[in-house]
Amino acid sequence: MKKIYKALIFLAASAMAMTSCDTIDEDNYLIFSGAAGSWYDANGVADHSQRALLEKYTGVRCIICPDADVVISAAVDSYNGKLVAVSIHDSNVFTRPFGNDPDLRCADGNVMSHYFGVYDARQYPSAIVNRSVVNNNWDLFTPTSGVNERVDAIVNQEATVALDVDAERQSDGIDITVNMEMLQTVSDAMTVTLLIMEDGIVTIQSNHEGKDSNYVQNHVLRDVITDVWGADVDCNGQAGQKRMARFKYTEAQSAWDLDRCHIVAFISNKSSRQILNAAECEID
Amino acid sequence: MKHRQTLVLALLLIAGTSAATAQGLLGGQVTGNIQLDGQISRRDSVIGSEDVPQKLLSNARADILYTNGDFSAGLRYEGYLGPMLGFRPDYQGQGIANYFVSYKTQNFAITAGHFYEQFGNGMALRAYEDRYLGIDNALRGINVMYRPFRGIILKGVIGQQRYFWESRGLVRGADAEVSLNDLITPWSEAKTRITLGGSFVSKYEDNSEVILSDIPGFKLNLPRNVATTAFRMDLAHGGFGLQAEYAFKGKDPNDLNNYTYHKGEVLWLSASYSQKGFSANIQAKRVDNMGFRSVRTEAYKEMLYINYTPAISKQHTYAFLSMYPYATQSMGEMGLQADVMYKFKKETLLGGAYGTDLHINASLIKALDTTQIGGIGTDGYTSTFFGTGDTYYGDLSVEIAKKLSSKVKIAATYGYVVFNPIIEGHAGDLHHNHVLVGDLTWKMNKKNSLRFEAEWMGSDSKYDAAVDDKRCGDWIMGLLEYNFAGKWFVSVSDQYAYNDGVGNYYNLSVGYTQGATRLQVGYGKQREGIICIGGVCRNVPASNGLTFSLTTSF
Repeated sequence: MKKIYKALIFLAASAMAMTSCDTIDEDNYLIFSGAAGSWYDANGVADHSQRALLEKYTGVRCIICPDADVVISAAVDSYNGKLVAVSIHDSNVFTRPFGNDPDLRCADGNVMSHYFGVYDARQYPSAIVNRSVVNNNWDLFTPTSGVNERVDAIVNQEATVALDVDAERQSDGIDITVNMEMLQTVSDAMTVTLLIMEDGIVTIQSNHEGKDSNYVQNHVLRDVITDVWGADVDCNGQAGQKRMARFKYTEAQSAWDLDRCHIVAFISNKSSRQILNAAECEID
Repeated sequence: MKHRQTLVLALLLIAGTSAATAQGLLGGQVTGNIQLDGQISRRDSVIGSEDVPQKLLSNARADILYTNGDFSAGLRYEGYLGPMLGFRPDYQGQGIANYFVSYKTQNFAITAGHFYEQFGNGMALRAYEDRYLGIDNALRGINVMYRPFRGIILKGVIGQQRYFWESRGLVRGADAEVSLNDLITPWSEAKTRITLGGSFVSKYEDNSEVILSDIPGFKLNLPRNVATTAFRMDLAHGGFGLQAEYAFKGKDPNDLNNYTYHKGEVLWLSASYSQKGFSANIQAKRVDNMGFRSVRTEAYKEMLYINYTPAISKQHTYAFLSMYPYATQSMGEMGLQADVMYKFKKETLLGGAYGTDLHINASLIKALDTTQIGGIGTDGYTSTFFGTGDTYYGDLSVEIAKKLSSKVKIAATYGYVVFNPIIEGHAGDLHHNHVLVGDLTWKMNKKNSLRFEAEWMGSDSKYDAAVDDKRCGDWIMGLLEYNFAGKWFVSVSDQYAYNDGVGNYYNLSVGYTQGATRLQVGYGKQREGIICIGGVCRNVPASNGLTFSLTTSF
C-alpha cells in the first residue's frame, strides 16, 4: 500500500506542479495595448452626470482657509459625487510649510495660480468652479460662502460631455483610463487634464485660534499628470462620439500614500479653458 | 544545428543497427519498412485539376527499428519531394523526422525522443500519426510509464509537438488508470470488470503575441497555461459493456473558437452488448469548444491538436457512402450512433447454407443550441446542455452479406446520408443522398478471384459552379477487380455523374505483390473532396494522372 500512496502523491504533486489553467476573470479578458495618450473609439460612458470641479487655492498659513474647508467639505458630501474639489497649494507665502511638515506646494498649482491671478491677488482662500467667467473675468470667490449657488448652476445643466476615469496601480506606474462620450456637439477643441491628489495629510494649519497641529488636509493637489493645461482630446466633437485614452503616470513620490490618493480628470475647452465636465476615482 | 544533431544520431543508430544485423554483436534485431508513393497529375478543367510544376510528386518514408531485449531505438526518414496533392506544402523537404530510444520492462517504460501516446479515448491527449491524412503530432520529449502495483498504471509525458519539420508548443500530461479487479484481490474473479482513469494535460504558450480585440486599443489577455482534465470509466459484465469519459478544458482563446474565453467540455458515452451472432452498440457524444491545440494561432485546422474526440459516425468503405465523410466538429456538436450486427444462422430461412450477416448502422449529429453573447475577447456564447441546433450529419446504412456458395459471396447495401455543407465551411442546403451498393466476390480458386461492385447514388443536390462542390448530383459507379496468380491484381472502375453533376472519374490500377513487397500503379482521375479517418479529415484536391506506390518491409 505504501507504494500506492507514494505513487499517488507523486502523481498529484506532478499534476499540480504542471500548473493548472491561468485564471483570467471576465473583467480581465482585454488589456490595453494602444499608445499612451492616444485616443480610441470606445463603448461610451454609462453615467451622464454633469459634475462641477471646484479648485480651491489655499495654504497652511492661511487663517481663513479652514473655514473654507468646512464649507467645501459639506458641499462635497451634499452633492453626492457631483462636486469634485481640489486644494491647490501654490508657492505663495501662505503655503510655506511649518517646520518639518510635509510640503504641500505643487509647481503645477503655482502655474495655475499665476494664470488665474490668485497668486498676485494674494487673496486666500480663493476658489473657482469649472473655471467660469463672469463679466470677462475669472469667477474667483472666497469659498466660505457662495459655493452652492455656483455648483448648482452647473450640475443642474444637461452635460455636454459624459466623463469617466479609472485608475489602476501597476508595477511600472499608474494606468489611468479616461472614457468620454459626447452628449452634445462641441465645435471647439478640447483637452483632458488629469490630476493626482491626496487626502488625509496631517499638518500644522493656521486658524483663528492660532495653529492646529493635527489638521487633516484633503484633496491636496500633488501633481498634474498631463500638461498643466491638459492633453488634446482626439475627438470631432460630434454628439455620439465615444472615445477613450489611456495614460501612464510614473512620477508618484514615495512620500505620497497612494491608498489615499485620487485621480481627477476634467475636460475643458482648449481655448477658453472652461471646464465641461469632471470625474474622480480612487486608485485600485 | 538541430539538423546536424539529428543527422549524427541517425548515423550512429544506422551504424549501430548495421553492426547488429551484420554481426549480431549487440544481439539485437533490426526491422523496418519502406514506402514510396508518387503522383503525376495534369490539368483537367472539367474536374478542376491543375498541372503540377514539378511534374512528379512523391512522399517517401522508411521506418527502422532496433530492438535488443528491453531496449529499443528507432528512426524514420521522410521525404516529400514535393508533397503529393492534398498534403501541406510545408512538408516539402527530407530528413529524419522521428527518432527515439526506449527502455521498457513490464512495470516501467521510458522513451526519449519522439513518441505517440493516448490517454483514455484521447479527449485530453492523443499524440498520433496518420500518414494518409498527413497528420503527425508526435511529441518530442520524454514519456514515462510506471506500474507501481498490479492494477495501476501511471503515465507522464512532456514534450513539444511535431509541426512539419519543427517542434512547437509545450505539452505536459499525466494519466492514471486503475483496474479495480486487479487491485482488489476479492474482485479478481468477478464477472463485473471496472476500470477507472483520470488524465490531466496542460499546455504552455508564451502570451506576448498581440491578438487585437474588436475594441480598438485593446488586446487579448492570453493565458499561458491551459489545462484539460478528463475522467473515464470502463465497465464490463459478461456481454454488456459501458464506457464513459468526460473532459473539460479551461479558458483557451484560439483561432478555432475565434479567440473567445468559453470553457470547453466533452462527454462521451458508449453502451454495448454482444453475444455469438449478435452485437449492439449505442454511443452518444456532446462536444463544446474542445479544440485543444498547442499553438493558439495555428491556421491549419488539422495541425497541432493535443486531444481528440472520438467519431460517432460509421466510417464507410463504399465510395458513394463515404463521399460525404463526417468531420468531427471539435468546437461543438451533439450526436448519437446505434450499430447492430446480427448473423442469421445456417440452415434457417434467411441464413441459408452459410448464414447471412446483417449490419445496420445509424447516426445523427447536430449542432449545439447556442446563444451568441459576443465576439473576440468575450465568452463568445452560451449553450444549453441538452439543446440542439441544425443537423450536421445523419446516416443510415443497412448491409446484408451472404455467401451463396463456397466460392461466391454477395453483399447488398442501402444507405441514406444527410449532410450539411456548413461543416466543410460551405453555405448551402442539406444534401440528402440515397445509395445502393451491390458487391459480388467470386473466388475461382486459391489464387484467382474476381470482384464486382456496382453503386448508385441519388441526391437532391445539384452542381452549382459558384459553390463548385463536385460531389453533387446523381452518380453511378462500377468496379471490376481481378486477383490472379496469387500475386497480381488489376482493377478498373468508373464513377459518372449522370444527372445534375459533373465528372467522369475512371481509374485503372495494377498491383504486384512479392513476399513483403508490393507495387501498385494506377492511372485515372480523383474527384476533389475530403477524406476522414476517425473524424479527422483532410482535403483531397482533384487530380488526373498516374499514381504509384511501393512498399516493403524487412
